[in-house]
Amino acid sequence: MTTPAEMTDQQADSAGARNLRRRRLRIVVRHAILVAWALVILFPIFWMIATSFKESGEWVAWPPHWIPQQPTFKNYSQIFTFDTMQKGVAREATEQPFNVWGPLGDSLLICTVSALIALLLGTFLAYSISRFNVGGKHFRHAILMIRMVPPIVIAIPLLMYYAIMIPLAAETVLGTRIVLFDTRVGVSAIYIATTLPFVIWMMLTFIEEVPYTLEHAARMMGAGRLYTLRRVVLPLVGSGMVVTFLFVFILNWAEFLLALTLTHPDVVTLPVLLNKFQSASEGRLFGPQAAIGTIITIPVVVLGMLIQKHLIRGFSFGTIRK
Amino acid sequence: MSEARIAVPESAPAGGSSRRRLRDWLAQERVFRLIPFVLVEVVFLFVIIIPFLLMVYISFLKWRANRPFEQAFLSGFGNYEQVLTAPGFWSALGHTFYFAGCAVVLELVIGFVLAMFVSRTVRARGLYITIFLVPMMIVPVVVGYNFTMLYIDSGPINQLLAPFLEPLGIDPRIRWLSDPAAAQWAVILADVWQWTSLTFLIFLSGFSALPKQLINAARVMGATAWQIFWRVELPLLKPAIVIAVVIRSMEALKIFDPVVLLTAGGPGTSTQTIAFYLWEQVWVFNKFSFGAAASILLLIIFATLIFFGIYLLVRQSAAVAQQRAP
Amino acid sequence: MAQIVLKDVVKKFGAHVAVKGVNLQVRDSEFLIMVGPSGCGKTTTLNMISGLERPTSGEIAIGGRVVNDLEPGERGLGMVFQDLALFPHLTVYENIAFGLRVKKVAEREVDSRVRAAAEAMHISPLLAKRPAQCSGGESQRVALARTIVTNPAVFLMDEPLSSLDAKLRVDMRTELKRLHARLKATFVYVTHDQAEAMTMADRIVVMSGGVVEQVGEPLEIYRKPASQFVAGFFGTPTMNFLSGKIESANGGLVFQASNLRQRLAASLPSGLAGRNVVLGVRSEHVTVGANGGTPGKVQLIEPLGAESLVFFEFGGATPLVAKIDPERSLDTGDNLTFDFDPAGCHLFDADTGARLN
Repeated sequence: MTTPAEMTDQQADSAGARNLRRRRLRIVVRHAILVAWALVILFPIFWMIATSFKESGEWVAWPPHWIPQQPTFKNYSQIFTFDTMQKGVAREATEQPFNVWGPLGDSLLICTVSALIALLLGTFLAYSISRFNVGGKHFRHAILMIRMVPPIVIAIPLLMYYAIMIPLAAETVLGTRIVLFDTRVGVSAIYIATTLPFVIWMMLTFIEEVPYTLEHAARMMGAGRLYTLRRVVLPLVGSGMVVTFLFVFILNWAEFLLALTLTHPDVVTLPVLLNKFQSASEGRLFGPQAAIGTIITIPVVVLGMLIQKHLIRGFSFGTIRK
Repeated sequence: MSEARIAVPESAPAGGSSRRRLRDWLAQERVFRLIPFVLVEVVFLFVIIIPFLLMVYISFLKWRANRPFEQAFLSGFGNYEQVLTAPGFWSALGHTFYFAGCAVVLELVIGFVLAMFVSRTVRARGLYITIFLVPMMIVPVVVGYNFTMLYIDSGPINQLLAPFLEPLGIDPRIRWLSDPAAAQWAVILADVWQWTSLTFLIFLSGFSALPKQLINAARVMGATAWQIFWRVELPLLKPAIVIAVVIRSMEALKIFDPVVLLTAGGPGTSTQTIAFYLWEQVWVFNKFSFGAAASILLLIIFATLIFFGIYLLVRQSAAVAQQRAP
Repeated sequence: MAQIVLKDVVKKFGAHVAVKGVNLQVRDSEFLIMVGPSGCGKTTTLNMISGLERPTSGEIAIGGRVVNDLEPGERGLGMVFQDLALFPHLTVYENIAFGLRVKKVAEREVDSRVRAAAEAMHISPLLAKRPAQCSGGESQRVALARTIVTNPAVFLMDEPLSSLDAKLRVDMRTELKRLHARLKATFVYVTHDQAEAMTMADRIVVMSGGVVEQVGEPLEIYRKPASQFVAGFFGTPTMNFLSGKIESANGGLVFQASNLRQRLAASLPSGLAGRNVVLGVRSEHVTVGANGGTPGKVQLIEPLGAESLVFFEFGGATPLVAKIDPERSLDTGDNLTFDFDPAGCHLFDADTGARLN
């Protein structure tokens, strides 16, 4: 072995060249692996989008067609049709709820309203936890526990609660029958409860970045608590609230188990709609299904990309240093 | 001037004074701080705690949904006995832990390697991050649906395998989802495909938070890349690793959506997870009190795990806070 | 008017007592500076005056009115914070206007008062900018403008200059003093920097461990510190302290410590003889090279320009420091003799630290 001091220039040159080559090789291998995983991720999405433009004959052709040979918008026009009795549609799916408008409206309404309410409640509570230490030192962790409980365990009592207990109680107390099962209110209520822990956690990270002294300054100038909250704190965590709202919206948009178990047949969210296609095992409607999958996916992926940077921070749970 | 301001609360006009008094009362710190707390607790009370108590009650009843609720009668621990002796319950629990174990290990390893590579890459870094995070945003039901399309007998996976299988005389149109082992791995791989994005995200934020001076200091002291990784980076990444393990394990144990979409528990019961099993018992077979008892048992198992998980998280965040302090 | 009276004010945070019974009178339109090391309770005291903290017991009165139960905004105060607390989402204009908007002042008056305050602090060109676009000194002025715009009778300041660099800080001192002279309002100012306190204050309150150690004018505190703590806190370099004993000799008193024997001023009561004391003497009261002094040996010379500091040992526990003419040719290792000016000797009780002379 030679120490660096003993190396001749030539040796040093060739060692440097070897190092350079090795480093280049490492970079190439690294990129190869990253590109491979990118392909793994993009392929199923590509396949879904491709299928959504395929004619029914191409859905399960062997060998499969990677790119639709006769691209068509038929699948989209089928799911977006206003007239369910249209010819050609009815032939293939007489017993299926085929129209996407109703579920799209239900999903948008439920997800937006429940995300907004959860955001409002959660932001206030996060503020209270951060500034007044409400609930004690471990409250924020206790809240996280709710999120970790499997939703099926919540779904079973909720079904009986919504379908039996509340109607019974309402009938004896109010004299009218109120059912929360299969209603938008019922689904929204459980979405609010299950997303609150996330709102509280994300908003805590944003609120704790607002220095206390700003609020002190406002209060010294005579501003009341609500005025301070509205004019000083909320504007400063506004972008955080937008991010949190979008995140919670995406969570609700994707939720399947609770929507599946607490609705039928009136309220249908998009994931439930997609599942209804799947359960009809005979003559699967891959094309329209892919079209629905695409329209469910694209908006949330776009939203997700918008908040990507903030997600990295929100998910760090305090491990990132400023 | 200041005196006039001070005098306002006492000399408020009688009209509307009750509203003002209410507002003043609400603005007091001891009241104000509790308003959101009470509101949120009310939501939890009505949506989670009351249903939970109801479930406890129902778990002691002998009742199926096809009979009126009023006619149900108490049966003590009968339901619990049934659950504990039901083979389906235990096999579903076993599948759940098996799936979660396999999926989480794969997600951690792949997510870690990807995050490490991406954090060391300069070119196309933003593009990689954007692509790698896409699966997280996709609705799990769509993921399940996507994978059924890939796994069908005339799907692209079989086409990719065809050049290797056809020379051996095997028909490449394999029905993946009809084979128990393959169906199980189909579920696991769908989960890995989707949730590696989350572990990647957690590790990426961990890597980007590593203190550069420390690594430079180690390099100046002559440490090799390998030594820096094991002695410096890995210990510093421990919080991120703990967070990834806890969060992903908890989520993976809930696995339901891809099972419904991909295999509906089949073939046989080979892909029944505990969530799917309970769903089937209650929603398909209407065994309500059985479901309630099983839920409570499940909750006890999970509560132990959750408590342990939260404990790890708290300890980790305390350690991080300590590191941060000078 | 705006005098502030604190009566037996105590503040506890759980088991920790931050302020242990403070009695204080701030006179109308005086510049009062509370100074002490961090954790001495000065900021807590200020926060209790401002209303951001409630006293555990005791009474606070502003302008003759007990304000214990008033919200901060109802006390008619203005406050400048350590981090300035400028609202980052508002322009400089809106920052200054904030207090007026809270009080629902008419728009035209808001505009004229904001512009007047900005004019007074020389920040008119900044009005449209955000605080993040302002330099340290500019932000400082914005914070002051925001406080003066509501014409408070009392200004509270919590180490407002600590974020500035050294030169700017010295400039701002002068400016604050000028502002005080112009506004004739009561200023209560908290700092841990004794130089800031010396240069600006009408009166200084020295705090330590939650108690007031001394209240007095700057020079009074410098010349007659009430305790060893106060003596050590003010002045650079730190006062020399020597532990020893007082003895009586030929009609007067002398201070005796190891190999040092120091004659004390004749005015001292003879009852002090025999006590264990700490002798404090500032570097300017140490004369080097005087005849018949105690011998010592130079350890280190620190030239400051107008004068030089010489650190030397003499056989005691710690080396001493003296101020000398920079032209004196002394070098490390040189031998010297030194003497104390009896008028500059402070005597403190060895146990309590209380002043004895």
